[in-house]
Formats: sequence, structure tokens, C-alpha cells
Amino acid sequence: MFDTALTDSDEPGRPRRVYYRVVYAILAIAIVGLLAGMVTGRELIGTIIYCAGAWIGSGIAFIAPKLTDVPLQDERDTELYNRASGLTLGVLFVLGLSVIPAIYVLEAAGNIDPPAEVTGAILLASGLFLLWGVAYGIVKRR
Amino acid sequence: MENDLPRRREETGLSQGELAEAVGVTRQTINAIERDRYDPSLELAFKLAAHFECPIEAIFQPKEADD
Repeated sequence: MFDTALTDSDEPGRPRRVYYRVVYAILAIAIVGLLAGMVTGRELIGTIIYCAGAWIGSGIAFIAPKLTDVPLQDERDTELYNRASGLTLGVLFVLGLSVIPAIYVLEAAGNIDPPAEVTGAILLASGLFLLWGVAYGIVKRR
Repeated sequence: MENDLPRRREETGLSQGELAEAVGVTRQTINAIERDRYDPSLELAFKLAAHFECPIEAIFQPKEADD
């Protein structure tokens, strides 16, 4: 069905626009649903809408390019994603390398008592780097 | 890299979207190549050369600063 919707067009570029609009619209509905749930006090319904939208939108984003011969994403998109990911990791790495050891030392010396949020952020950053290392190892061996 | 893709494309009367469709990429990628903002992969360069029936080096040339 999705393949037919994307290929029934004589206008070059239209399938790609439709693809991105569908994905972004679903994700926007998910976010609006979550915010509306928070505002109206119906957090459970908002969360369900958000999770459904996030899964459906992400699913379409990943699966649709594999189900059609129409170029929804191409090598330039991949390079842009790779460069953006590399830049993000680079910024995180520089920030992490400069801040995390300092926090550990100052905490050990009793100069600071970092709140739980900071500890959580450090664990999250460490987990991201660990995940990146595992992913890099897998990609390198394939 | 620099290229004469715009001239070759216009000579054949193709739009960026039509050329993109012919070689299996998006119009944005053809646009980025023509504006020297993206160097295509070897695979795409071969596809473009095959489309215009010429060698790759007839379309793409290294910039003098790249030498």
C-alpha cells in the first residue's frame, strides 16, 4: 500500500516529500498528544498516544525506504546523518572529557555534592559512548 | 571535486528531478553535486557517467587545490 502510494506519481521528488510529511506529521501528533495529556491531566492517554506515534513514525521512517524502489533516502542523506552523529559525539566527548573527571575528583574531595540529575546525565553519556563503541565494533567487522 | 553536471544535464534537457530519478537518488543530491556541496560516491559517479555515456573524468575533475 505504502509502495503504491509512493510510486503513483509522475512528479519527481513528490514521494520523498510525502514520506517526510507523513513521518513528521505522525511524530508531531505524538508530541502534541503527550503535551495535551499533561495539560488536561490525562497523562496515561497522552503517553499512549506518544508511544504509538513514536513507534509508528519511527517504523515508517525505517521500513518505508526498504519497501519501495523510490529513493526516499540516498547516500547523501546517509552522509549527512553520519556527519551529524559524528559532530554530536565529538561535542559530547569533549564536554564529557573535560567535565566528568573534574566532577569525580571534586566529589571525591568533598568540594561538591552533585545532584542526582548530574549523576544520571553522566551515566547516560557513559552509556551512549559504550553503545557507540559496541556499534562501531559490530560495523567494523561486517 | 568540481563537475560540469549542470551543463551536461541542461544539454540533454533534463530537470534535476528527472536526472535524479534516472540514477536513483533524490533531487536534493543532484542539486548538491551541481553546487559542489557534495562529492558523490564512486557508485553514483559511475551511474552518472553511464547515463551521459562518457568517462567519469569527463564529468568530475579534481580541483587544482586538491592536487
